[in-house]
Amino acid sequence: MRKSKGRQKIEMVKMPNDSNLQVTFSKRRSGLFKKASELCTLCGAEIGIIVFSPGKKVFSFGHPCVETIIDRFLTRNPPQNSGTLQLIEAHRNASVREHNVQLTQLTNQLEAEKKRGEALNRMRKAGQAEHWWEAPIEGLGLQQLEQLKGSLEELKKNVAKQADRLLIQNSNPPQFFGAGNSNHGVIPFDTIIPYDTKNVGLSGNAMPHTYNHGYGRGFF
Amino acid sequence: MTRKKVKLAYITNDSSRKATFKKRKKGLLKKVSELSTLCDIKTCAIIYSPYDTQPEVWPSPMEVQNIIAKFKMMPEMDQSKKMVNQESFLRQRIAKSEEQLKKQQRDNREKEMTQVMYRSLVGEGLHNLNIVDLNDLGWVIDKSIKEIDEKIKSLLEQQAVPPPPPPPPAAAAPAPQVVTMTSHASRTTKQDMFNDEAAVRNTITDLATDSSQNQQWLMDLLKSNDNMCFGRNDDMLPYSLHTNNFWSNFPFP
Repeated sequence: MRKSKGRQKIEMVKMPNDSNLQVTFSKRRSGLFKKASELCTLCGAEIGIIVFSPGKKVFSFGHPCVETIIDRFLTRNPPQNSGTLQLIEAHRNASVREHNVQLTQLTNQLEAEKKRGEALNRMRKAGQAEHWWEAPIEGLGLQQLEQLKGSLEELKKNVAKQADRLLIQNSNPPQFFGAGNSNHGVIPFDTIIPYDTKNVGLSGNAMPHTYNHGYGRGFF
Repeated sequence: MTRKKVKLAYITNDSSRKATFKKRKKGLLKKVSELSTLCDIKTCAIIYSPYDTQPEVWPSPMEVQNIIAKFKMMPEMDQSKKMVNQESFLRQRIAKSEEQLKKQQRDNREKEMTQVMYRSLVGEGLHNLNIVDLNDLGWVIDKSIKEIDEKIKSLLEQQAVPPPPPPPPAAAAPAPQVVTMTSHASRTTKQDMFNDEAAVRNTITDLATDSSQNQQWLMDLLKSNDNMCFGRNDDMLPYSLHTNNFWSNFPFP
């Protein structure tokens, strides 16, 4: 499903549609700052950009910062090169380098996840062709819905059973320290484990194993 | 345009750096100009390079001065609100990317667990799943059930609207019907559907609470495939095997 029109050749005049104009401004302004930032990093340039938005707000980008670029331009003074300034500059550049590394990593991760999403979509589509119950719920008839619901509720019960089974298993880990305390490391069966919360790993449950407290109770 | 991925670091090779600077500076100024034209806004750029004491500016030194003046006339808060340098700009982009990544991961997780749900419905075991998976699977199941309930509700509301015709007499002989699970079924008399559905729902609820039938189904499933259902295999879910006998006794027009 295409979400945007993709690359299109565009005429260099004021955009006729106002909401398109707003979107274009937003995207292009961001892209402009990105290009400016890259130019600074790659070639050691110092750049200032001021942009007034259609809504009369002002955006600005500056490296090292907007004010110094403006001052340098207005006063026509060459940049000061004190030791302190250079030190500050060096710190800032190091920080920028780190950020760039982090951003690159994130971008790669995002791309990987998007590809994974597309693969999952393909799987879903393939499944829909084979099994009626994988089709979107919107398109199902009443009997189908009822039957599917019954099956899902059944499955849900089994999932809950399996979850209980796992929790009971995991509450009996092998003994530590051989301290002779038979309760060592056993979780009481009435410990409340949240079932509905998403992303609750075992570490998120209320089972702190503080075995290294030694021979008293292994948990509190 | 080259499509090589450029490492975001200072280019140490002098001639390469100079060439890159020339190209990118030109591209940058072009983008500034386009932004100004397309969106009919005032903008300016000042570029200092290591190669020249004089900056390169757009649109013109005069216009740049005007824009700076206009900028400085704005209240301090408005000036700095959307002001960024490299560091803050990168931090913004990182925050945005992190958010996009999290959302994509959540969506993918949901899609993944939906696949697991479908596979489980046709008999794949749950023993490969850890506790987090099971939690998420439960969540996806709940979400599906909720969607189904809403759809059922809306379908029933539609059917309740037309005035009910007199119900036709029920067929005497129970023919072994393959229930065709397509939307064609909904085109039959609305009142039939309404009556049938109520009965179906009741029966399904009854059967669902009969756990002994589940054991039986599990044993059957393990033994052979053919036991699973009459009619086409892909019409029926094994989880609803216990409703099969019901269907065969209930004639659908």
